[in-house]
Amino acid sequence: MKASARPPFRARLRAFFRPPRTLSVTKTGRTYLVVTFGVGLGALNTGNNLLYLLLGLLLSMVVVSGVLSERCLRDLTVRRVGADAAFAREPFAYRWAVSRKAGHGFALTFSEDLSPLTGTGRLGHLPPGQECVVRADLAAPHRGPVRLSGVRVTTTWPLGLFAKTRVFFLEGTLLVYPRRGYACKEPGPAESGPRGEAGSPRHLDGTGDVAGLRELTPNEDARRIHWLKSASAGRLLKVEREREERRIWKLSLETGLTGDALERRCEEVAYQAHQLLEAGNEVGLQLPERTLRPAAGGGQERRILQALAWVGFEDTDSREAA
Amino acid sequence: MRRPLRLRLVLRDLAAGAAFGAMAVSGQLPVWALGVFLGALVLALCDVRLVARHARLSALGLLVAAVLLGMQLMSGAMNAVVAACSFAGLIAAQRMLSTPDAAAEGQTHLTGLLMVAGGAALSGDMTYALCLIAFGVLASLSLALGVVEAAVPDGEPVPVRAVLRPLSGGVTFAVAGAVAFFVLFPRLNWAMVGPRSAPGLGAVSTAGFSNTVRLGGAGTIKSNPRVVLRAQLAPDPGRDALDAYWVGRTYDTFDGLEWTNVAGAQQTERQITLRPASDTLVHQRIELLPAYGSRTLIALETPSRLGNALAHTPTGTRSSPVQLHGGGEVRFTITAPSYTYEAYSLPPDGKADLSTALLQPEKDQLLALPEHLDPRVGQLASRVLAGEKEPLAAARKLASFLQRDYAYTLEQGGMPEDPLGDFLFVRKAGHCEHFATALTVLLRTQGIPARLATGFYGGTRVDGGYLVRAGDAHAWTHVLVPGRGFITVDATPPSNRTSQGPVLLERLLALYEAVEARWRNSVVDYSFRDQFELASALVRPPRRPAGSAENPGSSRLPPPRAWVTAAVVAFVVWRASRFASRWTSRAPALEATRLLDRVEALLQRAHVPRFEHEALEDLTTRLARDGHPLALALTPLTRRYLEARFGRRALREGEAEHLLATLRRALEAEAARRAVKPDGQSSPTARAS
Repeated sequence: MKASARPPFRARLRAFFRPPRTLSVTKTGRTYLVVTFGVGLGALNTGNNLLYLLLGLLLSMVVVSGVLSERCLRDLTVRRVGADAAFAREPFAYRWAVSRKAGHGFALTFSEDLSPLTGTGRLGHLPPGQECVVRADLAAPHRGPVRLSGVRVTTTWPLGLFAKTRVFFLEGTLLVYPRRGYACKEPGPAESGPRGEAGSPRHLDGTGDVAGLRELTPNEDARRIHWLKSASAGRLLKVEREREERRIWKLSLETGLTGDALERRCEEVAYQAHQLLEAGNEVGLQLPERTLRPAAGGGQERRILQALAWVGFEDTDSREAA
Repeated sequence: MRRPLRLRLVLRDLAAGAAFGAMAVSGQLPVWALGVFLGALVLALCDVRLVARHARLSALGLLVAAVLLGMQLMSGAMNAVVAACSFAGLIAAQRMLSTPDAAAEGQTHLTGLLMVAGGAALSGDMTYALCLIAFGVLASLSLALGVVEAAVPDGEPVPVRAVLRPLSGGVTFAVAGAVAFFVLFPRLNWAMVGPRSAPGLGAVSTAGFSNTVRLGGAGTIKSNPRVVLRAQLAPDPGRDALDAYWVGRTYDTFDGLEWTNVAGAQQTERQITLRPASDTLVHQRIELLPAYGSRTLIALETPSRLGNALAHTPTGTRSSPVQLHGGGEVRFTITAPSYTYEAYSLPPDGKADLSTALLQPEKDQLLALPEHLDPRVGQLASRVLAGEKEPLAAARKLASFLQRDYAYTLEQGGMPEDPLGDFLFVRKAGHCEHFATALTVLLRTQGIPARLATGFYGGTRVDGGYLVRAGDAHAWTHVLVPGRGFITVDATPPSNRTSQGPVLLERLLALYEAVEARWRNSVVDYSFRDQFELASALVRPPRRPAGSAENPGSSRLPPPRAWVTAAVVAFVVWRASRFASRWTSRAPALEATRLLDRVEALLQRAHVPRFEHEALEDLTTRLARDGHPLALALTPLTRRYLEARFGRRALREGEAEHLLATLRRALEAEAARRAVKPDGQSSPTARAS
């Protein structure tokens, strides 16, 4: 079979009309083009040389606009700095870092290409040789992993007539946590005693003044050890405080939930976990396919949010892992 | 809303001012529109946004102005272009004084653009080009600052200096591009002309002819340096100072105070012949400028034929018939700010007896004297002539006498009842009208026919042609010499015949006129013929003058500028090919992408189970891990795709088809295998383990 070296005409045509830069005309630019067209018609119709001169200036400004915007987008280096935490349907801070070795960049607008994230970051001036961090308030419509394919950089420099866009292909994933919406239901009663992996409530951290020292028992929190006294006594001593017992909640996500019910439940759990952890309690999470042991603090909240964000997207999770 | 950058607003307002100036230099806009816009510009530059809180009221004012302009338009008091330009100026003024938001910005720039276009239709002056460039620069700066300002986060400064450098280069490039476009864009007409109808800003008609010449007026016109006439002469005298008489009309009746004419012939033609033509006529192509302000045609002394006139009215250029009046005056029949026409005159030494062409009443008037003429006038003439009877010699003798014993002055001491007697016997000083009147009347007292002629004297050479100023207005005497016709004799001292304006101002205006003439020749009147000649000049050696001997050492090769042009074209082609090569270098990546598309289509048609958004490499990895038979065909294909797409190893000719054929065979084999598989076996799971 003889292979054809040239691609089909349609493919070549499509490639011709889909250059690496995209160009769109702004509202001002549309008016400008209409006026330019009118001046051109007037020049041809009347033969007025001054109109030819004006037409030449208008067309030259279009060319200048294209050249300067191209120079503005050339040689850019973009990387994602990312977000601290992204919650669905809430604005969250997102950052890109951009730099170029030579030449200035002006009026750059950043956004994530082909992603459901909305919002843009703006940069007025990018001096050469410096890396600037562009901050944007983005919003995601729903929780879960968002696959990021590239960063769109758009500029309307120099005259605002055209918006030229370049996409920097940059693979990545942004995990969007469920929104911490209002929970209609109470989280239920706290755990009353040692149960499963949670262990005894007495091994947990307390609050208030120091009440005394006692020997550390198995399965108790090693962070409570008073190392100085333990060293002098020759055994591990634990600090006891006035309010020693910390309550433990174990939240759960019921199996069989789908669609809006699942989303709503994830938001409720996220809210309950946030409230409980803010109050200094320990929170665990029971998911259909995994379990998080009760723990306290910001780290536990992040783990819970991550687990909730992946619920329903385990297939994607496994592919990412692969 | 944050406060806009002050510099940007100033630039925007100045750009609108430059655009308005492009229209205003035509001098056709109504004075009230000029006043309104200038007031608005001053307020806007002082950051006084007068209509920011009265948007509706100002819109109502605009509506009223539109109605008034429309009424003026309907009544014929104003033409459509002027009305539209005036209204654009009012809109720009209203926008400048309103709240500076994005909409107002855009509308101000848009009206500025429309005003510049309107200015091109109104004016052909060189100042238009200056206003156009000023508008382009200022508006570009304002727009660029606006774009950057919109992208700068709140609270951060706008990098004005950083913006200016690349933008100034861009604007320079744009101006150069505009010139290149102007020069190279093919015109569709051989004879294009720009607007010539504009009277100019502040133009006042200064040198107009009237039906009478009244003695006693102050000669303020002699100090006016404005140009009223441009002329191209053939054959070209080649002199810097032409020192010629440009006659407009003559007068034969003097009543002691003013000169008039008896009714002369009335004739309307496209071209009027005053004297029989000869082979040695001097051809003149004359342009009367708005400062002239009269309908009388001017031609070099002893005109023979005048006509082929074009009247440049605000509504366009039209052919104008000409009409012959008494005193040899030829007038345009159409009133317009400016005209162009052709005239033929006898050479300075030519002879043409016009006396036979005069009507009998005109001949009789050449000896008529005022009723109450001072008897001392005749006595003075007799005493000076001392019996001289030959007309020309007598005239020259009297002229020498006047130039020697009388002073030239533009100052007048009131309005005497007998201005001639006052000049000859009291003040003994006057300007050209006094000298010419005195000589004419003195000759008539001795029975020598003579008349007064008015027009211009002089002619300054500029860019191959000659300019005549309002200050060159002059009066002199025609003496009727039997057999030779009217001979010019000028009694005014030679040094006082031309313009009496300040020398420095005249030099500056001459310089401006030289540039303006080049502007008109190179820009306003630029045509397809000029383009053709430019192209010819670039590729052909210059023509030798006829009759010149051929230089044996000269080469038949094209001139150096042809080589330079070829080098420039070659450079442009090279740069274009370099630019195009970027696109062609993307071909391997596109080819790889096309391969991927075709693979994806094959896999979809074969119903190969895939996860949502699963990439080809992920699929291949999964199938290989599962030991799927398709992995044998997909693995080399995927590797080559990745190499071609990201590894800069382009697919060889036919390689893609070969890989695809292998995949097709594998898919067919897989389909056949599945067809014979028992129903109890399940298909590969979509879940990764």
